[in-house]
This record gives sequence, C-alpha cells and structure tokens, in this order.
Amino acid sequence: MVGLSAGEKNFLHGGIDQDLRSDGRNRNTYRPISVETGVIPQANGSARVRIGATEVIASVKAELGRPAALQPDKGKVAIFVDCSPVANPVFEGRGGEELSLELSVALQQCLLGGKSGAGAGIDLSSLMVVEGKLCWDLYIDGLVVSSDGNLLDALGASIMAALSNTGIPRVQVAAAASGDEEPEVDISDEEYLQFDTSGVPVIVTLTKVGRHYIVDATSDEESQMTTAVSISINRKGHICGLTKRGSSGLDSSIISDMISVAQHISVQLFDKLDTQISAAEADE
Amino acid sequence: MRDIQLPLNQTQKVRLQRALQQLESLYGNVHSGNSVTVADTIPVNYDDGVLRGHGTMDRDGQVVATLCGVVERVNKLVYVRTLRARYKPEVGDIIVGRVVEVAPKRWKLEINCNQDAQLMLSSMNLPDGIQRRRTAVDELNMRSIFVENDVVCAEVRNCPNEGGVQLQARSQKYGKLEKGQLLTVPPYLVKRQKQHFHHLEQDGVDLILGCNGFIWVGEHVEARDSMIVDQVNNAPGETSLETRQKICQIANAIRVLSTLGFNLNLEVILETVNLSTKLNLPINEMLGSEFHVLVAEREAERRSSKNTKRKG
Repeated sequence: MVGLSAGEKNFLHGGIDQDLRSDGRNRNTYRPISVETGVIPQANGSARVRIGATEVIASVKAELGRPAALQPDKGKVAIFVDCSPVANPVFEGRGGEELSLELSVALQQCLLGGKSGAGAGIDLSSLMVVEGKLCWDLYIDGLVVSSDGNLLDALGASIMAALSNTGIPRVQVAAAASGDEEPEVDISDEEYLQFDTSGVPVIVTLTKVGRHYIVDATSDEESQMTTAVSISINRKGHICGLTKRGSSGLDSSIISDMISVAQHISVQLFDKLDTQISAAEADE
Repeated sequence: MRDIQLPLNQTQKVRLQRALQQLESLYGNVHSGNSVTVADTIPVNYDDGVLRGHGTMDRDGQVVATLCGVVERVNKLVYVRTLRARYKPEVGDIIVGRVVEVAPKRWKLEINCNQDAQLMLSSMNLPDGIQRRRTAVDELNMRSIFVENDVVCAEVRNCPNEGGVQLQARSQKYGKLEKGQLLTVPPYLVKRQKQHFHHLEQDGVDLILGCNGFIWVGEHVEARDSMIVDQVNNAPGETSLETRQKICQIANAIRVLSTLGFNLNLEVILETVNLSTKLNLPINEMLGSEFHVLVAEREAERRSSKNTKRKG
C-alpha cells in the first residue's frame, strides 16, 4: 500500500482535531451503509454490505452435526474470514492469512462469547435438534471484496444481515431413537425457520488517531492509528465482546469513555442496519 | 452505462435512470462510428495500406478490434485508444504523482501509468534557484527536496517509445504538495485543458487536476519559490476550519462526479459545490445517494440546454 506524505498526515490529524475529516464527516459519523441480501443462492443466508468503499460478503451455511460432548444442548457456530486478493494485491497467496485470522478471531470473540458459550450473541441453544445427538452447525464465512478500512464493523454488519436472511430447514425427528442409535430425521425442503437475530450484536470500532478516537476509519486513517478498540454491543446496549488492536496502551478511563460512546453509536447503527436490511429483504 | 453502485430507493432509481438516459441520448450518436468493442470490425481503406496498431488484429483479411475504446487514425496507422485503462502519458501533461523511490540522480513517481515515472534531479529547479551543474552534494541532499510518499506535481517532459516516462518540474508552480488531500479518479475523466492549476481565491483553495487522474485539493500556498527546504523548517501551520470545509466540499464534489462518471473540469466541480451550498447540505451527506441523483439530473439539464443553444 502506498503511504501518506508528511503533509497529508498533518492534514489528516488536523482534520480529526477539528472534527472534520477528509470526506467531511465528524468523528462519530459512519460512511453511507448499504445492504444486499440473498447474494449467494447456495447458502442458507447471505448478505453483501458496503460501508463507503469497503465491501464484504457474508454467507451462512447450516449442516446437521453432533453437538460437542461438553455442551450437549447447544449447536455449533464457526466463523471464518477470507481476504480476497481483489481487495488488495498484498492479500495474494498467503499474504492475507494474517489479517484473515485476526478478523476471524475478533469476530469469534465479539459474536460467540466465551468457551462455555456463555454471553454468545448468537443463540446457540436454538440450534439444537435432539439433545446430545443432533444439532445444527452454522458455518459463517466472510469475504473481504474491497478494503477501505473498518473491516470488522462491515463484517459484523454483514453477518447480522446474513443471519437475518437465513432460513434453517425444519427437521422432523422420526421416532425417539433409544440408546446410542442415530435418530432418523426428515429435513423439510419447504418449511424454513427464520433465524432469530434479536440477540446478534453490532460491532463498533473506535480507532484512536492522535489525541482523539474516531468511528469508521478509512484505510488512510487506519494507517495513522495508534490503537483500535472493537466493541460488540447488542440491542439491549449490553457489551458482548471487546477486542483491541494496535501496540500502544490505553488508559482505563479512555476505554470506559469509548464504551459509552460506542453504546450511543450502536443505537444509530442498529437503526440504520434495520432499515437497510428490511429494504434489502423487500427488494429480493 | 457502467453500473453505479449506490443504495437507491425506487424513485431515486427511476430519476437517476431517466437522467442518464437523457445524457446518453444527447451524445449517443456522435461517436457511434468511432467507438468499438472487442471483435468489432474496423472499417479501413485497404488501397492505401494499413498499419495495424494497438488493440487491433488481422482476422480473415479484416482489421478487428481486440479492445473496447475509440478508433484513432494517424495517416496509415489505425489503433484503438482504450477508455477505461491506465493513464497514458503525453508530452506536456500536468500530472500529480507520489514518490515511491529515491534513486541515484532521480526520483521515481507513481503516476497511475503502467510504469513508474522518473523525475531527474537535473530537471528540477534547485531551492536556491541558481542554474548550475548538479553536484554530488546535491545528490546526497535529494531527500531534503522530496522523500518517499511525498505528493509531487510535475509536467511530462517526454515519453520515449521504449518506455519510461520522464518528468520535469522547472517552474515554481511545480513541486511538493502539502496541506490537502489527494483523490484518485479514473484518468479518462480528466481531459487535457488549457489550465490544470486552479486557485479558488474566495476559498483559498488550490485545485490541481492531474491528467493522470490524481487530483490535489489543498490549502492555497503562495508562490512556491522559497519552497522545499524553507517550508520544511517552518512549522506547518494549521489549516483553518473554513478552508478545510471548502477543501472537503470540493473533494466530495469530485468524488460524486467521478462515481457518476462525469468529466471533471473546474466549471462542473464548482457548479456541484454551489448546488450543495444552495441545498445547505452537510458536507458528508454529499456522498449520499440523493445528492448523486440531483447532480446527475442537473448535469443532464445543463448539457441539454447547452445542446439546444448550439443548435439554435
């Protein structure tokens, strides 16, 4: 990636200090967001989200599997992210692996909660079919198509849109199989259950550039960041996960300040996404 | 018409489509004989002999286009000039580039061309302004003039056939650009004009439309003769809020026009800025879909009124 000259860096920092960024936004404003759903017909649910010049696609695939032995009453969710070399030539070959892994881990932390499954944004118990024997495995895949900063927020939004687009087939369990036998199931082709997304959080990333922190940073702004804190917040305003990138440390008072700002912004983000998602669903 | 990716609602979609259709109908048949797509036959006069140039091939005795673009004819030579491609330099073009490397006696600049351009130390005006041979000391001090990632404005000196673009910056108007932002648009949107440097006096903004599609919008800098060394020593003064607002407004106007695929010149840019001022639109909302539609409608109106004037 091409860097910025000293003059441009000064201009960028000055803009953030004066609360007027290069594209005329304030520190707390998002770029225009657009959502398209049902972009991948083979998947159970999919969505494409654009935030400014950043574009990501998320798809959800559901498969029947066996629940983990430790959590017999819960389904499983796996999140993977891939960075396409279309977005940036650096991602070619294995170049995007590091970023992909970082994003996947951050998303898992923000959406799936702890190891025990507690605090998960996605309701895992709704994925259970027969306790201890049969459950739905959700494979959530994200693809970065075009990258202009703030990938995590875009991926979070696209996963939320994809999940609200997801229909999980209704399963009829034939007879209660006894003992260790596999239960016989009949997967319906017509009847789908809408996935409940009321608990799915949005991710708000606050990027610290200079003395201030900004929301929805472009890649130019990200190149000047010292730290970035990603906070995932659900509709109730509760924090579901928190990750921090960047090497420099943060004062705890700043973090709590950031959290309250993020809570405020998440309300607007939910509103925006809800209208966009419902418009996209209507368009389909 | 290229797909414009904007979140539009139903009425906006219809309005945008109508505006674009109107634009297309105005210019639809002007160049129709001249523009080709892949596999189109190019009509040529075989008696005079034909030299097949770029983007053409011989197929069953006919000249066929292998690229999409406009057919250009120079005497016997027939070639296709592609529309959506990288920048192709021509002598005298004013370009904006970014330094990617400081090499012996030269800087290498990224100018959105298929090759990096070279700006020789000997084709620069030195800071002291004296014409003299460049010494080894000058060469060692090159980084005091431009360093990597600096944005530089220059002129194309020559572009020899074997490749390699040579630049020069022999006047005070060229040189390092600071206090502003660089925008990248497709190079075909910037046509060659008489004037590429614009100083918008009432706003105190400099606007440089580089032919390579790099556009500089920044705070106005008075006469750059004492540029370079002195300016680095000066503490960079803050850009005032009003100037910054103007810079952002102009930059966003350019972004809107380039998304819509309209040619960029001062007149159109200022008109877009005025439109947003008249609507009292916050600067960041200029990038919203409603403003895009308004600009498209206005442009259609402007061009059609121009067309009737020309006819009448």
